[in-house]
Amino acid sequence: MEFIYQFVWIVPFFPFIASILIGVNLLFFPKSTKSLREIWAIFSILLLSIAMIFSFNILWQQINDNIIYRYLWSWIFDNKIDFKIGFLIDPLTSIMLVLITTVGVLVMIYSDSYMSYDQGYVRFFAYLSLFTASMLGLVLSPNLIQIYIFWELVGMCSYLLIGFWFTRPSAANACQKAFVTNRIGDFGLLLGILGFYWITGSFEFEILFKRFNDLVINHEVNLYFANFCALLLFLGPIAKSAQFPLHIWLPDAMEGPTPISALIHAATMVAAGIFLVARLFPLFQLLPFVMTIISWVGAITAFLGATIALAQTDLKKGLAYSTMSQLGYMMLALGIGSYQAGLFHLITHAYSKALLFLGSGSVIHSVESIVGYSPNKCQNMAFMGGLRKYMPITGITFLLGTFSLCGIPPFACFWSKDEIITDSWLYSSTLGSISLVTAGLTAFYMFRIYFLTFEGDLRVNLNKVAFTYPVSIWGELNLNKKNSNKNKFVLNKYDIFFETDQNENQTDNLSFFSDIKKLKYPKESDNKMLFPLLVLTLPTLFIGFLGAPFPEGQIGSDLLSQWLYPVFKSAEEITSGNWLEFGLNAINSLSVVFSGIFIAFILYGPFSLFPQNLEKNIEFSLEKNLNSFFSFIYNWSYFRGYIDVYYNIVFVKGTRLLAQSLSFFDEWIIDGFVNGFGILTFFEGESIKYLEGGRISFYLFGLIFGMIILLFIGFFGAMF
Amino acid sequence: MSNFPWLTTIVLLPVFAGCVIPFFPNKGNNLIRWYTLGVCLLEFLLITYVFCYYFKFDDPIIQLKEDYNWIDFLDFHWRLGIDGLSIGLILLTGFITTLATLAAWPVTRNPRLFYFLMLAMYSGQVGLFASQDILLFFFMWELELIPVYLLLCIWGGKRRLYATTKFILYTAGGSIFILMGALTMGFYGSNQLTLDFQNLSNKSYPLELEIILYLGFFIAYAVKLPIFPLHTWLPDTHGEAHYSTCMLLAGILLKMGGYGLIRINMELLPHAHSIFAPWIVAVGAIQIVYAALISFSQRNLKRRIAYSSISHMGFVLIGIGSMTDVGLNGAILQMVSHGLIGAALFFLAGITYDRTRTLFLDQMGGTAIYMPKIFTMFSSFSMASLALPGMSGFVAEFLVFLGIVVSNKYSFNFKILVTIIEAIGIILTPIYLLSMLRQMFYGYKFSKFTTFSNSNMDAGPREIFILVCLIFPIIGIGLYPNSVLSLWNSKVSFILSKFIV
Repeated sequence: MEFIYQFVWIVPFFPFIASILIGVNLLFFPKSTKSLREIWAIFSILLLSIAMIFSFNILWQQINDNIIYRYLWSWIFDNKIDFKIGFLIDPLTSIMLVLITTVGVLVMIYSDSYMSYDQGYVRFFAYLSLFTASMLGLVLSPNLIQIYIFWELVGMCSYLLIGFWFTRPSAANACQKAFVTNRIGDFGLLLGILGFYWITGSFEFEILFKRFNDLVINHEVNLYFANFCALLLFLGPIAKSAQFPLHIWLPDAMEGPTPISALIHAATMVAAGIFLVARLFPLFQLLPFVMTIISWVGAITAFLGATIALAQTDLKKGLAYSTMSQLGYMMLALGIGSYQAGLFHLITHAYSKALLFLGSGSVIHSVESIVGYSPNKCQNMAFMGGLRKYMPITGITFLLGTFSLCGIPPFACFWSKDEIITDSWLYSSTLGSISLVTAGLTAFYMFRIYFLTFEGDLRVNLNKVAFTYPVSIWGELNLNKKNSNKNKFVLNKYDIFFETDQNENQTDNLSFFSDIKKLKYPKESDNKMLFPLLVLTLPTLFIGFLGAPFPEGQIGSDLLSQWLYPVFKSAEEITSGNWLEFGLNAINSLSVVFSGIFIAFILYGPFSLFPQNLEKNIEFSLEKNLNSFFSFIYNWSYFRGYIDVYYNIVFVKGTRLLAQSLSFFDEWIIDGFVNGFGILTFFEGESIKYLEGGRISFYLFGLIFGMIILLFIGFFGAMF
Repeated sequence: MSNFPWLTTIVLLPVFAGCVIPFFPNKGNNLIRWYTLGVCLLEFLLITYVFCYYFKFDDPIIQLKEDYNWIDFLDFHWRLGIDGLSIGLILLTGFITTLATLAAWPVTRNPRLFYFLMLAMYSGQVGLFASQDILLFFFMWELELIPVYLLLCIWGGKRRLYATTKFILYTAGGSIFILMGALTMGFYGSNQLTLDFQNLSNKSYPLELEIILYLGFFIAYAVKLPIFPLHTWLPDTHGEAHYSTCMLLAGILLKMGGYGLIRINMELLPHAHSIFAPWIVAVGAIQIVYAALISFSQRNLKRRIAYSSISHMGFVLIGIGSMTDVGLNGAILQMVSHGLIGAALFFLAGITYDRTRTLFLDQMGGTAIYMPKIFTMFSSFSMASLALPGMSGFVAEFLVFLGIVVSNKYSFNFKILVTIIEAIGIILTPIYLLSMLRQMFYGYKFSKFTTFSNSNMDAGPREIFILVCLIFPIIGIGLYPNSVLSLWNSKVSFILSKFIV
C-alpha cells in the first residue's frame, strides 16, 4: 500500500493552508475574523488532526514495510543545474511526523483555553499552524536545500511567536535575540551545505552520502576541508538546539506564550538540530574528529544547562535550561555514535517536556490572576507553593513529568537516559561521569521546581502585601531586595525595566482588578487545558517501552532500533549487553538520581530543615550557611553563568562600536572627500571671483610678475 | 502585425502621453492622477502583451529589432531590441512605475509637472533597457536623470538641495565616462562609426585599451549601482526624496548600473571582464558587510533602508563577477527581487512617516497597536529583504552563493574567503532589519500616537493594494523561481559562452 505515500504532501500542506487562510482573512477582514475566532481555531485543529491521522498511517506503513520513499519535483533547473524539492519518508521522518502532529494538536487544544482572553487569539493560531507546517516540511526534506528553507522558516515562526506579545519590551528583545542567534547557526549551515555541494556536487542526501563515502575511502577529499565544512554544518544544530556557545536565546524565548514554549521551545523546533544531526549521521560518522566535537558540545551543554537550572527562580526559565540540558544529552548520544539512544531520548523528552511546559502554563494561567501578569511575577516560583492542593490534576501530571525527566523507572525518560549514560560510559569515562552527574543535577533541579511550585504553602498569601497596584509593589520589593542582598542588582534593573511593561498590562487587567481581592487562591484550569495534560501523561508513562530492551537480551533488540534499522545500517552500535547488565547500570544511575532528589527534598521539600516563608529567604540562608564556594556556584547559576553578560559586552557592543566607527568613516572620510571637494571648488570660485576685480593695472601686474617668474625658472633651468 | 514597431510604441507612449497633461483643465488633481495611472497601466499591459506574443524565450538573440536612422551625420540610429536580459527589467520597470504612480496619490503640489516627470522617467527607463545602440543608451541614461533631478529638488525633504546637487554631480560625472567610452569604441578600428551593440561585440581591442574602456564604464555603473566608495549619494538622495520617487530610484534606477555592467562590460569587453572579475567579487563582498554595518548604525529610517539597498547590491556584483551560469542568473534575479523589495520598503517607510511624522527610529516605538496592517506588511517585507526562504531574495542570494562556490575561475582560498564574508552579511542583515522593526513597532510608549488611537491610523485600501501587488511576485518567485529564471536563462548561457576559450 504505497498509495498513502503519494498523499504525504497533505501532512504539511493542511496546516499551511490553515495558516494562510487565517492570515489573509485577518489582514483584510480583521473584525469579522476575530468575531469568528472559535471557528478558525476549530478549523486549524481539524486540519492538523487530519495531518496527524495521516502521519499515524504513514508510521504504521513504515513499521510494516520499511520502504524508503522519495518523491521529487524540479524546482530550479536549466541545462546545467537541477535543484529539487520533494519528500523523503523513512522511519526517522515518520516518527518525527507523529511526534510533531500529536504535540501540535494537543498544544492547539490547550491554547484555545490558554489564549482565550488574548487579543491576538486568531493570529496565534495562524502562527501556530504555520510553524507546524514548516516543521513538518523540515522533517520531510529529502535534500539539504529544502532543509535550509524550512530551517529558516521555523526560525521565523519562532521569532514571530516569541515576539507575540509585541508590546512587551522584553519580548521584543528576546525575539530579535532568538532570530539573530539562529541566523548565526544558519550562517554555518549554509556554508556547510555549500561546502558539501562543492565536495560532492549534490544536495540529495543519498547521493551526497554515497559520493562522500567513496571520496573518503579513496582519499580523494581534503579531510581538513571536509572537517571544516562538517563543523560549519554542525553550527546550525548548535544554534537551533541551543547547544553551548549559542544557547543564550532559549531561556529568553520563554517570553512567548507558554503553549509555544511547550511546542516549539521544548518538543519540536529545538529538536530540529538533533534531527539534522541524525539525518546527516552517515556523513558525520565518516569524520571522527567532528563526532568527538559533537559529543563534547553535547556533554558541556548538558552539564551547563543543568547547573544553570539549579537556581532559576522563574518557572519557565528553569524548565528552559532543563530543555537545554536534555538536548545536550541527545547531542552527546549522537556524538558517541549511539544514534538510536539519541533519537529515543528525543521522543521521550518531547512528550515529557511538553507535559511539563503545559503544566507550568496551567500554573501560570491560574496564578497570574492573583499575582499579576508580568512574567517575572506570575512565573516566579517565590510566589507559588502548595499549588497541588488547589490544582490537583495539574500537580499530579506535573509530578509524573518530573519523574519521567529525572529518569525514574517505568517512566519514559528513564529508558532513554539510562541508555545514553550507559553508552557514554562505554565510550569514555569522562563523558560517562559528566552524564551521570548531570542526571543527579537534573533530579535535583526538577524536584526543586516541583517542591517550590506544588508543595508547602502558598506563599502569595503568606506575603502580606496586597496585590492591588502591581507597579508600586515592585518598587517596594526592589527596596527589600536591595537591603537584603547586594548581589542582586541585576535583577533590580530588570524589575525597573518591567515597570514600563506593567503599564500596558494594567489596561488589560483592569477588568480583573475587581476579582483579585476575591480570588485569593488559584483555581484548577478548565477542561480544555487539562485534557492535553492527561493525554500527554500516557506517552510519558508508556512510550519508554518502545526502546526498552527485550528481556531475551540480544544486542540492540528493542522495538525502536528495529524500526530505525534501515536508516542506520552501517553504524557500529554500542548498546548495553543484556537485561542483567542493563539492570546493574540502571542501579548505578538511579542511586545518583535519588541522591539528587533527596538533597532537593531536604532543601526545598515540604518538611524541610530551613524556614521557607519566601524563596529568597531560603536562598539567603543557604548563602549564609554554606561556604563561599557554594555561594559562588549559586551566583554563577543565578546569573546564567555570566555568559549573557559577556556576550553582550563582546558581541552586541562590539558590533555596535564597529558599526558606529564605520559609519563615521563613511560620513567623514568617504563623504568628506566629496563634500571637501565641493567646498574647495566653492572657495576656488570665490577667490577667482575676487581676483577678477576688473582693474587692468592689476591684470598687467599679474602678467608681468608671471613673466618674470617664468624667465627666472627658464634661466635657472638652463643653468643646471 | 509582427512588423509593427512595438518597442518604439512602448518607449514613446508614456512621454507623449505625458505631453498631453499640460492641456488638461485645471480642475483638481483627480483627473491627472487617473489619467497617469491609466497610461502607466496601459503601458504595462502593452509590455506584457508584446512580450507574451512576440518574444521567443528560448532564443538568446536580440528580438523585436527596430532600426531607424536618426542623425545621419553621426550614424546615430534609433535602434531598439530586447533579449532575455532586458525583458525582466522592462517588466519590473512597468510594474514598479505603475505602483509608484499609485503611491504618489497624496502628492498635491504641482501635480501636472509631477506626473509628467513620472511618465518621462518611465520612457527613459524602458528606453534604456531596450536600446541596442551605445549612443542611444547614453542618451537614455542622461534623459532619465532630468526627471529624477526635478522630482528630487521640488518634492524632496528638507535637505533636498544638497541631495539633488550631490546626485546630479555624481551621476552626470559618472556618465561622462560612458560617452567617452562609447565614442572610443565606436571609432576604434574603422573609419566608420559603429555604435550598434552587435557590431561592437564583434570588435576586438588591444588589451590595454579594453582595460581603460572597462574602467571608464565601470565608474559610471559604480556610481549608479552603487559600488562601495562611490555610494554616498544614495543615502542622501533616498533620505530626501518623496517615497514614490524612492520607489523608482530603488526599484529601477539602481538596476540600470547592474544592467549596464552586464550589457556593456561583460558582453562587449569580455577580456577585461575576466581580468577584473576577482576585483568585482572582492568589492561586492566588502560592500555587503560594510553597508550592512553602516545601516545598523543609522538612526534615520530611510537612510537605514538605503544602506540596506547598497548591501544587497553587493550580491549583484558577486554574481556578475562569479562568471558562472548560476551566479549570473542569481545576479539578475537579485536585481529584480531587490527592485520589488526595495520599492516596497521605501513605500512602507514613506507611509509610516506620513503617520508618525518622524523618520528617526528612536522617536518611534510602540506603533504596532495603532497600525497592525503596516506592522504586518513591514515585517513581511523585512523578512523578504533578509532573504527568508519562500521569497525571491532567498533564491537570488542562494544562487549567487552557489555561483561563487561552483566557479572554476577562482582559487580555493579566495572562494572560501569571499563566501564567508558574504555569509557574514547574512548574519548582519537581520540585525539591522529586525532592530529597525523593534524600534518602530515593538514595545509600548505613551507618546503622541496614543492621541490618534481613536482615529484610523492604519493603512488604507490603496496602500494595502500596492503592498499586496508587490508581495505577490516576491512570493511567486520565491516559490517557483523558474517562472522568471527561464526568461533570461538562455541569454545568460549565451553571454557566458564568450568566456569559455
